[in-house]
Amino acid sequence: MLVALVVGGLGGVVFMTFLIDVDRFTSSNEFCTSCHSMTYADESYRRSTHFSSSSGVRASCGDCHVSEGVFAATWDHVLGTKDLLEQFFGPDYDDPAVNLLHLPEAAFAARQWLKDRDSATCKRCHELDAIQGKRANTAAIHCEETDGKSCIDCDYNLVHRHVPDQKTFKRDAWNRMVEKELGLEPGSAERILAGDYYESTRRRRSDSPSPFMGEGRGEGTIRGEATFHRRAWLASPHDR
Amino acid sequence: MCSTCENRGILGRLLATTVLALLCAGVQAAKVELDPSNWGDEAGKDCVSCHTKSSPGLAQQWLDSAHATAGVNCLDCHRAEASEPDAMEHEGQIIATIVSPKDCGRCHTKEFREQQGSVHAEAHAIIADREPALADNLTGSAMRAAGCDQCHGSVVEVKGDGTLDPDTWPNSGIGRINPDGSKGSCSSCHGRHKFSKAQSREPAACDRCHSGPDSPDKEIFEASKHGMLYAAQRTHMSLDAPIWVAGRDYTAAPTCVSCHMGAAGKLPATHDVGLRDAWSLNTPVSERQYLVVLDDGRKLELPASAEVPKRGSEIRKADGTLAKVKTVATPERRRQAMSLVCLECHSKTFTSSSMTQFDDVVELYNEKFGRPARDIMAELYRRGLLTPTPFDEPIEFTYWELWHDEGARARHGAAMASANHAFWEGMYLVGRNFYSRFLPEVLAVAGPEAQDILGRHVMSKPEHQWLRDPNRPNPILGFGAAQGGADD
Repeated sequence: MLVALVVGGLGGVVFMTFLIDVDRFTSSNEFCTSCHSMTYADESYRRSTHFSSSSGVRASCGDCHVSEGVFAATWDHVLGTKDLLEQFFGPDYDDPAVNLLHLPEAAFAARQWLKDRDSATCKRCHELDAIQGKRANTAAIHCEETDGKSCIDCDYNLVHRHVPDQKTFKRDAWNRMVEKELGLEPGSAERILAGDYYESTRRRRSDSPSPFMGEGRGEGTIRGEATFHRRAWLASPHDR
Repeated sequence: MCSTCENRGILGRLLATTVLALLCAGVQAAKVELDPSNWGDEAGKDCVSCHTKSSPGLAQQWLDSAHATAGVNCLDCHRAEASEPDAMEHEGQIIATIVSPKDCGRCHTKEFREQQGSVHAEAHAIIADREPALADNLTGSAMRAAGCDQCHGSVVEVKGDGTLDPDTWPNSGIGRINPDGSKGSCSSCHGRHKFSKAQSREPAACDRCHSGPDSPDKEIFEASKHGMLYAAQRTHMSLDAPIWVAGRDYTAAPTCVSCHMGAAGKLPATHDVGLRDAWSLNTPVSERQYLVVLDDGRKLELPASAEVPKRGSEIRKADGTLAKVKTVATPERRRQAMSLVCLECHSKTFTSSSMTQFDDVVELYNEKFGRPARDIMAELYRRGLLTPTPFDEPIEFTYWELWHDEGARARHGAAMASANHAFWEGMYLVGRNFYSRFLPEVLAVAGPEAQDILGRHVMSKPEHQWLRDPNRPNPILGFGAAQGGADD
């Protein structure tokens, strides 16, 4: 009986430690960006104040996108395996065109996720003092204008590439923007979205090395070369 | 004590607001035909609460405005349908940053109707095909946003992510092509967010664009008798008056608005700024011009040398489509309208004689310099002595400045009676350019063909005969027989 208790207790401790470690590892920037598809999100993140803030605090991927607490975090990661399966068997998110064309839905889902949790992960860092800041008017806004609102209702498009709200999002305009930015033929966005990956691969081969290098301007422009290897992260782990 | 003061303040403000509202009621009846139930969106009141903190300057300007007094709030102007290209979600509302003339026109219908199709609204469209020569070749594309488009207006591009392309926005150029297809920018002259009547009646409302070497209307006005009187008597101009009729509500001096847009006596005010212009003054050769008003509200300027269309006939617009002619205003009618403003302060003879002095300068410029220079350039291009690309040969700058800068200054100077601009900043420079730069450059470009070209376009004209007589001294330079004291 005692032995069973000790073994069970120790086992529990080991298991919890394991869970905590797994959660910590799978919430880290290094883990998240080990998929090439995530490096696009990483790029805009690195230009945001959540990466370099005046206070010196840096929010990691998991700080915002994974719930607090070991069980909740574990559950989020269990649900997150859906993304992993998508990465392997879904559209080729490593391809910048595919990635950018699917970005709006990803943004809408992330916003909804935050909204469903009443922006809980925001509040891990943004306690009342931090929200109110030093400017009197900013403090007043967060006292007087926030009834019934959650952080994400007002403060979105802070970290990643600008995506309009779902209510005003225009798929057609977005597709044309992606085509223009990445040098794709007009109309190819719809074909890529419909699953014609050959379309994007062919375009990339013909226009290599990188038709989108230096295209566009300002925040969130996708730059750099995409890796075609679906399993690049397995073959050569990212150095970030 | 504080609370008494405050109470008095609030009461005073309330009283002032009521009086203002009563005063405005008359104006609104005339200007805004809509029922007040069309504005005062309940949700718009929340905007104010936040914006007095997030952008207090902007909010205060609106609080001080006639819009605020009448109960027109942020959402009344900024609300948008989700389907509009530049619509965005903002704090639970669907809004657009750009308030286009069409948006303002929801209430200000008359002003919108007059403004659409005016030379102001078409300021971008008019130069669109010429812009690349200066913006892309001569300077660089960054100058479109920083230069050309600041006055002429940009073609606002909404990016696929709903944001406004920074190459095209911010912009309050007067011929801006808006995402909703309307042309123009009311805030070009009516500074946001106060939209003060007094501010837009000031010459400064026009100076942002109508100044500098090619259209120094600011400088010309300031140097004219009108400008002199305005500077001295500005406080007597009733610039704040709800209705501003020259000769009735103010008599101290005119501003740009008085003559080009304002009401005067029986002449109604108009937001078609070019309506009263009998001449085209910013062209290589000035033409008296007809104003053709089409049944779709668009307008066309036709030179007097062209065939004048009949009322009801079909005419081809600049974009190639056809429209029916509604009315045609002759140059004489347009001159008459302008003269009605003058008559509020001047006699008929004074007015018509001043116009004659102006017309004489335009015709002098045309016949002596503008037309010969244009004909010579046309011939140089035709003979292949110049490449078709503008500004890759020095004479093209010479010709451009002759009509676009110096020639325009002379003509505008005469129009608004600034002696300095008509002469020293204008026709003197035209003459200097023509004789000391343009003609020598024609000689250089045309070589053996120059004699034929210059013979036909210059030396055959009586205005240039003085060049044939090199032996007529004059004391102007300090030499010559009549000047006893000078050595020669």
